[in-house]
Amino acid sequence: MREIKVEILENKEIAENIYALTFSVPSDLAKEVRPGQFVNLSTGEQNLLLKRPLGVCRKTDSSVTVCYQVKGVGTRALCLRKRGDVLSALLPLGNGFYLKPEEKKVALIGGGVGVFPLLSVAEGYQGRAFTSYLGFRNQNAICFLNEFAERSRVVLGTDDGSVGEKKNAVQLFLEDYEEGAFDVIFACGPPVMLKALQQAVKERGVKTPCFVSLEERMGCGIGACLVCVCNLTNGEHARVCKDGPVFSIGEVNL
Amino acid sequence: MADLRTTICGVSFQNPVIGASGTVGFGRELDEFYDVGQLGGISSKGLTLEKRLGNPTPRIAEGRSVILNAVGLQNPGVDHFIEKDLPWLKSKGTVVIANVAGKTVEDYHDICEKLDGLVDFVELNISCPNVRSGGMAFGIRPETIAEVTRTAKSALGKTPLIVKLSPNVESIAINACAAESAGADCVSLVNTFTGMVIDIERRRPVIANNTGGVSGEGIKPIAVRMVYEVAKAVKIPVIGMGGIATAEDAIEFMMAGAFAVQVGTANFTNVYAMPNIIAGMNAWCDRHKIKSITELVGTVRMN
Repeated sequence: MREIKVEILENKEIAENIYALTFSVPSDLAKEVRPGQFVNLSTGEQNLLLKRPLGVCRKTDSSVTVCYQVKGVGTRALCLRKRGDVLSALLPLGNGFYLKPEEKKVALIGGGVGVFPLLSVAEGYQGRAFTSYLGFRNQNAICFLNEFAERSRVVLGTDDGSVGEKKNAVQLFLEDYEEGAFDVIFACGPPVMLKALQQAVKERGVKTPCFVSLEERMGCGIGACLVCVCNLTNGEHARVCKDGPVFSIGEVNL
Repeated sequence: MADLRTTICGVSFQNPVIGASGTVGFGRELDEFYDVGQLGGISSKGLTLEKRLGNPTPRIAEGRSVILNAVGLQNPGVDHFIEKDLPWLKSKGTVVIANVAGKTVEDYHDICEKLDGLVDFVELNISCPNVRSGGMAFGIRPETIAEVTRTAKSALGKTPLIVKLSPNVESIAINACAAESAGADCVSLVNTFTGMVIDIERRRPVIANNTGGVSGEGIKPIAVRMVYEVAKAVKIPVIGMGGIATAEDAIEFMMAGAFAVQVGTANFTNVYAMPNIIAGMNAWCDRHKIKSITELVGTVRMN
């Protein structure tokens, strides 16, 4: 875990307003990066003092790819960066999605930009049977479908029904779900989606362990500033950057 | 190699660079990136008598060259700090400053009593709302600053007291004098400026608390001016802060009259900001044939 200068290898639009940014990483640091962890990446804009926390989507022995939706000043600045530009990156951060050796059948539930950290799981663990329930806004928002299909069975839906079923990722998962079908469930997506999943898991008495990756505005990214907390069901606060971003679905108030 | 040591209230700092309260926790997280023992000092996350959960999220927003935060003093409480964090922090060999906050004057008394003799300094955060004066911060008026300083001082037999001044005031120099007269051993400034950022799509402030404390490079010229004014007005030592991101920034504050500096927001921009500043100060002194960093304190000459 350290902060380094990284060179952008590629920064391209892969779906409407969604970019994939790949940067070079020394091999010793690339080895440390686990599925579901994140990177704190500078925007290249001098007057923006904060880095942006972006989930690891893919990695190789010498590079890491993060994806982002252009939404505010930071991501607008980031999407203008070109191959060869140099940014600061603090990585790897957070706990990530961890698969135990005996967990073989894995459900991945991803909504919108929440699919990216799940691809790092599908590509980062060998010898598992993955099923990916992927929900996108519409046809133009779909990305990494082939990559998910190479590593998993894909169940696809869109909010407007332009491709696949007219359902969100949680609905797709629940329709398909049978107790015992999976050893573990990983989910990432907008807060409303995770809340719906949490409620459904509770109501249907799902016994399969379920973990969610959260998003929050961050300061330091390393657990020092206490900016990015979430509420735990035991009344305590946890730091999304350091104690998370992945939490058991039963331990957080969404 | 220049001599970067500086002494404040008889406490020797190996260099003048201190991690500012709220940006470095109790030092443990930064220590995963570099040995925090190389820092001049660490000012702890603001401590209260009881544990506090702080404000709802979002707690942070950004402007050009500044950030705003409203964490709301989330901390495990002073007893937890003394038991769990202080022994580790002391073992690092850096100067330990306990930053403390309270809702009442009595809170400040009790918390200082617990920390007396255990830490190198107590730093009073007086930017908290005073429950008994309708929520107006202790740090706004000279009279309340004097009262809270006197009370804290009465509970500190051994440990020197730093009063951290708010810039959201009529005259920070008058407030500094009030702290000095009431027994403060040192003042630090500036705390954050109160600000707001609005998300125009939602027509709501970005931060859940609506307002937040503005910090970062953008506030530096105001902070330098205030440090200069305060250093002129008081005889006790001054610790300067507000937007320091480079060695040159730190030296600017020292020339304005600061014996040491605190670095906060820059730790978010670059996790190695403080070690880089220390190394840069050394190099700057060598280039300018400065033997001891203390030669620079208060040396700015007005035009």
